[in-house]
Amino acid sequence: MKIFMKFVVLAFAYLCAAMAFAQGSGHLELTTVVQKEQISVDDDGKQQKELVQAATVLPGDSVIYTITFRNVSQESAENVTITNPVPVNLTYESGSAFGPGTVIEFSVDGGKYYSVASELTVTENGEVRAATADDYTHIRWIMQNDLAAGAQGVARFRARLN
Amino acid sequence: MTVATIARASGICRSRFQIYVPILAVASLLLGNLASAAGTPAGTVIDNIAEVTFDLNGTTATQQSNVASITVEERIDVVVTLQSGQVLVAANDANRSLLFSVTNTGNGSETFSLAIDSILAGDDFDPVPAVPAIYFDTDLSGDFSAGDVAYDPGTNDPNMAADESVDILLVNDIPSTALNGQIGRSELSVAAGTGSGAPGDSFAGQGDGGVDAVLGSSGGLAVQFGEYLVSDVQMSIVKSVLVNDQFGNQDPIPGATLTYTATVEVTTGAATGAAFRDVVPTGTTYSANSILLNGGALSDAVDADLGELDTSGAPTVVVRLGDLSQADGIQTIIFQVTID
Repeated sequence: MKIFMKFVVLAFAYLCAAMAFAQGSGHLELTTVVQKEQISVDDDGKQQKELVQAATVLPGDSVIYTITFRNVSQESAENVTITNPVPVNLTYESGSAFGPGTVIEFSVDGGKYYSVASELTVTENGEVRAATADDYTHIRWIMQNDLAAGAQGVARFRARLN
Repeated sequence: MTVATIARASGICRSRFQIYVPILAVASLLLGNLASAAGTPAGTVIDNIAEVTFDLNGTTATQQSNVASITVEERIDVVVTLQSGQVLVAANDANRSLLFSVTNTGNGSETFSLAIDSILAGDDFDPVPAVPAIYFDTDLSGDFSAGDVAYDPGTNDPNMAADESVDILLVNDIPSTALNGQIGRSELSVAAGTGSGAPGDSFAGQGDGGVDAVLGSSGGLAVQFGEYLVSDVQMSIVKSVLVNDQFGNQDPIPGATLTYTATVEVTTGAATGAAFRDVVPTGTTYSANSILLNGGALSDAVDADLGELDTSGAPTVVVRLGDLSQADGIQTIIFQVTID
């Protein structure tokens, strides 16, 4: 009986795993968290910054978005590209986008056209000028290599609440 | 494999995302328009969804992340600025007003209480607050007048949306003992109804829509004084005009010459650095070198003599009368223009 129960439990576990794999196949797991820096003082009176979950913010506050992506399939994923809009009411902070093994591009037109920061322009009153961080509407991270089965990557940026 | 993993990949979850996205897009449009100088409105919820596209086994797929949300807290801030500059008064004047502008520089709506203090350091006399002493400049005249509504603490405390301003008058009497040249200060202080104190102090659930309210750099309190300057100088200015047309008549037709005569007299006290300024009327052209002071001609150029035509803005006749007292008697200024 005990052995049978063990078997049932084990079978259920396998089933769960199989279901997860079935769901996961053809998928990447993608999670985003938003955090802010909090300055705390340790016992020695030394200040240190730590990232804490940002549930609430005030105008002028900076928040950090971290996007984690993981290949939960059993195949290698190619052409992996992460896209994130600069959230409404926030302004992207220049130079803050980060993503190991990725080329980072920006859009100033709601995600229709992307380019690296140095080549992006804005047409204003008929005049073409270099785009600035204030102009960015979207950010994307293009992975340079394939994402192997089970591998994960991270993309991050910082923005300030208007 | 955890159950959570299964749930995240389940169809129920995915369909919720699909519903969520269009709602988010509409909210974004609305909120974008609400952004103001005071910052993103308190209570705004900002959602973020990342997206990944990839090729797996030759098939391109797209996947969305969870929703990461932040809620905007209310920042309480207020600024008071003096609008009226130094107000010239005489001893014994009643109901003289100072004009202030109060602006809610926070990102939520807030009620403020107002207070006056006329016993301040750094001045020569204490103005005496009228009863009541604080008024809304209801008719926007910039001065205390019959249509202005009195402030009644706790009853009509101004409630202002983010970025909103209200004009406030402090009304004081000038004591009989105030002497010429003396200054008296009166101060308006404005405190947020939610609370005031040190910047960063927080009031749980007290913000718009139940978010926390946090004191900004003002600490929820703004204080500004204005000044009354006792000036016993009283002047009388009388201006008249004479029309002479080119046909020997007195018709104000194009080409007719208008001769303006202004008489200036100090009736009480002594003025220092008095200057007469009169903008050349629209639709007329100043007649060159026509300024006369007490019968003597003054050039139009900015030079050593007392008169000039100031063309830095609208053409203006300027006669610098300098120090002037009753003993100097009537000063007569004449200049001419022609009708265009």
